Amino acid sequence: MNEEMRRAAAAYVLSLGDDEMILSHRDSEWTGHAPILEEDIAFANIALDEMGHALLWYRLHAELLGKDPEVHPDRLVYQRKPADFRNTPLVEGPKGDWARSILRQFLFDSAELVRLAELSQSAHAPLAAVARKILTEERYHDRHTRAWVRRLGLGTDESRRRMQQALEELWPFVPDLMARRPEESPLVAAGICPPADVVQKSWEADVIPTLQAAGLRFPTESVPARFDRFHHTTDLDELLAELQSVARLESSEAVW
Amino acid sequence: MMVSPRPETGSNPEAAAEYVERLTAFEARIARGEKIEPRDWMPDEYRRQLIRMISQHAHSEIVGMLPEGGWITRAPSLRRKLVLLAKVQDEAGHGQYLYHAAETLGATREEMIEALLAGRAKYSSIFNYPAAAWADVGVIGWFVDSAAILNQTMLARSSYGPYARAMVRICAEENFHRKQGMEIVLRLTQGTASQQTMVQEAVNRWWWPTLMMFGPRDADSPNTPMLVRWGVKTRTNDELRQDFVDQTVPEAQAMGLTLPDPELRFDAQAGRWIFGTIDWDEFWKVVKGNGPCNEERILARRQAHDDGAWVRAALQAYGTRQEQAA
Amino acid sequence: MTDSQLPRYEIFIVERPGRPPTYAGSVHASDDELAMLNARDVFARRPDCHGLWAFRAETISSRTADEALSAFEETEPAPRERYLVFGKLGHKGVPTFLGAVEASDPDEAVGRGRSLYGQDVVLWWVAPERCRLATAAEDAGPMFEPAKGKPFRDQAFYPVETLMRQLRRARTHKQERS
Repeated sequence: MNEEMRRAAAAYVLSLGDDEMILSHRDSEWTGHAPILEEDIAFANIALDEMGHALLWYRLHAELLGKDPEVHPDRLVYQRKPADFRNTPLVEGPKGDWARSILRQFLFDSAELVRLAELSQSAHAPLAAVARKILTEERYHDRHTRAWVRRLGLGTDESRRRMQQALEELWPFVPDLMARRPEESPLVAAGICPPADVVQKSWEADVIPTLQAAGLRFPTESVPARFDRFHHTTDLDELLAELQSVARLESSEAVW
Repeated sequence: MMVSPRPETGSNPEAAAEYVERLTAFEARIARGEKIEPRDWMPDEYRRQLIRMISQHAHSEIVGMLPEGGWITRAPSLRRKLVLLAKVQDEAGHGQYLYHAAETLGATREEMIEALLAGRAKYSSIFNYPAAAWADVGVIGWFVDSAAILNQTMLARSSYGPYARAMVRICAEENFHRKQGMEIVLRLTQGTASQQTMVQEAVNRWWWPTLMMFGPRDADSPNTPMLVRWGVKTRTNDELRQDFVDQTVPEAQAMGLTLPDPELRFDAQAGRWIFGTIDWDEFWKVVKGNGPCNEERILARRQAHDDGAWVRAALQAYGTRQEQAA
Repeated sequence: MTDSQLPRYEIFIVERPGRPPTYAGSVHASDDELAMLNARDVFARRPDCHGLWAFRAETISSRTADEALSAFEETEPAPRERYLVFGKLGHKGVPTFLGAVEASDPDEAVGRGRSLYGQDVVLWWVAPERCRLATAAEDAGPMFEPAKGKPFRDQAFYPVETLMRQLRRARTHKQERS
């Protein structure tokens, strides 16, 4: 792998890790506050899985850049400023009500399912291995979230209204979720990652009918949010301020 | 669900005789170490006490998620974050097993939750204290889970089958809870001066409340004799409390931590640690609802419950339609 | 103010491949699909789960050993179906899957179970096989594999004894030097 390719792969993998890490953090906020005890356990499971996924991507990032994979993930999470995070803004917003969290989870999980299936065939073997491992867990998340989208969409007038509202609020973040990353071109050419438009097409073919079958109106017109992986909302500032608050009481060398 | 009528004094002598016969057989089963199962005959008082105990235990697990759960978003390393999330998730799971065990006796989850939110049901008062600093997460795991393990190991021998089995499952899962707490504490004791101060202060705040976790003195525990007779409890409050002190003081010493009790000393002859007097005024104050966080804890649970009402309604509507279509 | 309960499902787990399912507890869920997902999240967090069965609580009939003694009477031939038979052996176990019988009602199922699986059972549970929900073999991966990758749920993940030993050694050295 040449230098340019390594850096491109590292940038790509960093964004995958940041997506999982930030979403995991948001999902973990439901612990102790979920609407049903069984769901408290289920959502904590999703958050735990996602944190594990983030760790896998961050360790791969370390290997690509010649850093210590045991130490590097914590540095990425606890020492970076908001502007240096490469997650898609969809995952950084507040958890909102249960409808908003479920809908966000569905938009993300369904996209991951497509992306990871492609990445499992990546020409870069370590990347393919990580993707295959994550895919097993992601299949379960997808089942769970899909089941909830149906139940909330079709449940009562109130649950459908909340889901519709969540869809209206989150849809502007979808373009960035699906957007081509700047580092993609050499990676696509080398068969290391799938082209963004292939992912998008597969994803839309699944998500649109699914949302419609759940009684939701798919927003046809909406202005894309003016945020992206390089320009975050202030929600990320607040999230990271909290996430890093205890770690920052001591130097970055401190052991916790 | 078989509930035996308790015969009143002076009523049908045949019924009274039958009751005595059943009670004798019941107590003989317990003496033989047999488990009482949901459809077996049991005295009303046994059923009532168990529902009270088990639901209190379930509520404790659920409310217990809050002090530590609040630190998941601020856990200072990925290892700490992952592990704390897994621990708090387990606590939800333990609450789930325990609500199930209480349901086998005829209680419903809704009734139990209503009683908690209305302030009628109790839960372990230890969770009415604030987890004020990160170090508290470690000390809670170390002190509170050690205490819980001692209590639950004892309850695993309980005469009521579903409760005993829930305890076995919970004990198996709880071992890592205590160890993750100790790992946090050990890291802090070997850390910077401010980390060491943080953990010592947490120890100073949690020691006495943990001793209070074991409940009133035996002399002030009206329920204990009956619970012991019917095999629900197999050790008393004071016995468990002593076990906890004997186990934990050497651990604290090994970690270089002091305990906030000037009277603490080892009685070599008796082979146990003598400790000072618990502030029973504080104990009763917190048990009666006037601890530092009682209101906050119930408010959080009420909020989750109320915010979730529309979700449960949606599930019910969906489920009912599914059934009708089938 | 209170919502009425979501239906209860009784959950059985296969703790080791090839072993019969044993009773684990229950979950509340609005429907079968959610019940299976919840059962997995509640009961399969550790690696000791290789399969799940679930039944709506009301589809299981329970008979004590004494109740099972009363002979069932075969009146007219009634439509038969497969019943799954579970038994609690002795006073400390949990209902464990014993096998399947053909019967037209729960009492007949228990009766046939008694003659096939022995008299040591203190409590019988029977349910029509059509009421059973089970994890499909092809779902085993996503359902149960992830639990194997969570070593932090095992107490062996925490080197507490090692850390304590290091502390004691450091303290001893400090004392020796002073």
